Amino acid sequence: MTRQATSEASAERAREDDERSLLVVRDVYRSFGGLRAVDGASLDVRAGSITALIGPNGAGKTTLFNLMTGFERADAGEITLEGRPIARKPPHTIARLGMVRTFQLTKALAAMPVLDNILLAAPDQPGERLSNLLLRHRRCRQRELAIRERALELLDSFDLRPQADAYAGTLSGGQRKLLELARALMAEPRILLLDEPMAGINPTLGRRLLAHMRELRSAGTTFLFIEHDMDVVMGEADRVIVMALGKVIADGTPDAVRSDTRVIDAYLGGTP
Amino acid sequence: MITFALALDIFTQLSFWVSVGVLAGTYGIFACGLQLNVGFTGVVNFGQAGFMAIGAYTMGIAVVELGWSFWAALPVAVLVAMAAGLLIGLSSLRLRADYFAIVTLAFAEIVRYTAINARDLTGGNQGLIGFDGDWARLSGGIQEALAPVGLDGEFLLPLLLVTWTTLVLLVLSLRWAQGSPWGRVLRAIREDEDAARALGKNAFAYKLQSIAIAAGIAAIAGFFHALNLSLLTPNSFEPLFTFLGYAVLVLGGLASYTAVAAGAVVLWTLLEATRLLELPLPAEKVAALRFMIVGLILIVLMALRPQGAFGKREEMVLGD
Repeated sequence: MTRQATSEASAERAREDDERSLLVVRDVYRSFGGLRAVDGASLDVRAGSITALIGPNGAGKTTLFNLMTGFERADAGEITLEGRPIARKPPHTIARLGMVRTFQLTKALAAMPVLDNILLAAPDQPGERLSNLLLRHRRCRQRELAIRERALELLDSFDLRPQADAYAGTLSGGQRKLLELARALMAEPRILLLDEPMAGINPTLGRRLLAHMRELRSAGTTFLFIEHDMDVVMGEADRVIVMALGKVIADGTPDAVRSDTRVIDAYLGGTP
Repeated sequence: MITFALALDIFTQLSFWVSVGVLAGTYGIFACGLQLNVGFTGVVNFGQAGFMAIGAYTMGIAVVELGWSFWAALPVAVLVAMAAGLLIGLSSLRLRADYFAIVTLAFAEIVRYTAINARDLTGGNQGLIGFDGDWARLSGGIQEALAPVGLDGEFLLPLLLVTWTTLVLLVLSLRWAQGSPWGRVLRAIREDEDAARALGKNAFAYKLQSIAIAAGIAAIAGFFHALNLSLLTPNSFEPLFTFLGYAVLVLGGLASYTAVAAGAVVLWTLLEATRLLELPLPAEKVAALRFMIVGLILIVLMALRPQGAFGKREEMVLGD
């Protein structure tokens, strides 16, 4: 085999890798005043994976989430979702393209019923436009019935069905986390970004949440989640991305990352 | 010792209730717009009197200066007010809620000062008259129709009927819109704008719609205000009008349109009844005392029922 053929083959492999990458971040920067929160971060999230994003506090994980979902604008760099550049797009457009996020501090819509929280997330409800309400009333109603059914299914699978008509503000912290996840799923995302999904919920609910994640992954949803619980990270993730001081310092399988000296120095600490 | 008395027989007089009804209906319509903004979208609009002034003056100028028919001027004036709402929204809705409130207040004052100074168009402080000829004819017709039941003595009765018909229709359509998926998005934005955006909702576009619709509603309130006074003067569009609108909102309760109508009736019954206080004091002192008494009653009502007469306590407590 000639050297040229070898390099062509590796280029081919790289392209395939890219094709399997649903979300690609390249050299993204974001400063707040003098603080470089994200300092040239690059990463890939493969389609169909459960990828964990870990790192010490202040590493830039949440800022990177905000940049990827349009809540912050990058100073420089590129972000693509399924090959489409999204770095300059507003949050609602990115959500409609199939990337939906949850927040570190849950954002339950407290003074709305639990069911309405879920219904809100349904994609393609024509009744969200006043003109359709007036002119295509029947279609809006039909769609509402369909999404209601789907919403009740989701509530069932998260054991929130009995609370369907209660205000979301009356739910416990753990239930709110489940509600937020159910709501994000209602939006039928290609990729779901979860910011510390396990924080503040009891182990039973946590296990259920993880079971949902695995189940959804086998149905084709991709996950990227920020987490500090290393048992969860090493047990659930196919790939682990490690950030420190605004940069990605490691990216690989849980085993590879665990034994990476840079990661041990920056985050894991001690002797394994 | 001060003798404190209120002539109770006024409550049995039809003319008292007709004038309370017209004012309550006008303020009820006005405050429906505020309810849409504040109660259902979480947008604090302090410029409602400005949108009302734009609607009323557009109608007045179109009829008096341009010679339009009153009926043709109404829809155009609503559209002009809505355009003003869009303009304010596009330029300022990206501001934080409290800053936006200040901008709308300033806008309303700009409108009022413009009306004071653009004398050729608005008549300045002298006022603008002569826009209600078409209405007077209709009103006369309604009065004639009421003659067989013996109600033709009250010349404001036709205005009362039309005002309240409008208010009821408005409340019904707003309730319908609020129960729709569109209304659900508005409420989500009120609860947490970022959550709504993360779920694919264009929060800015919805807030714009909310403010434009409220401005159109303010214009309609402006028509009834103008017909009630038969005169357009800048000082009838002072910020006080907006704040009384907020009093209606708080009294009736947030996040309910029926509450707005009820709140308007309560507020104007209080304001008009205290006007007839009989006290051994000079008239201007009684006038000042009137607002103090109403204020005191409002404070007591709020202490007893903070969510307002018809507000949902849960939505207030869980709000944040």
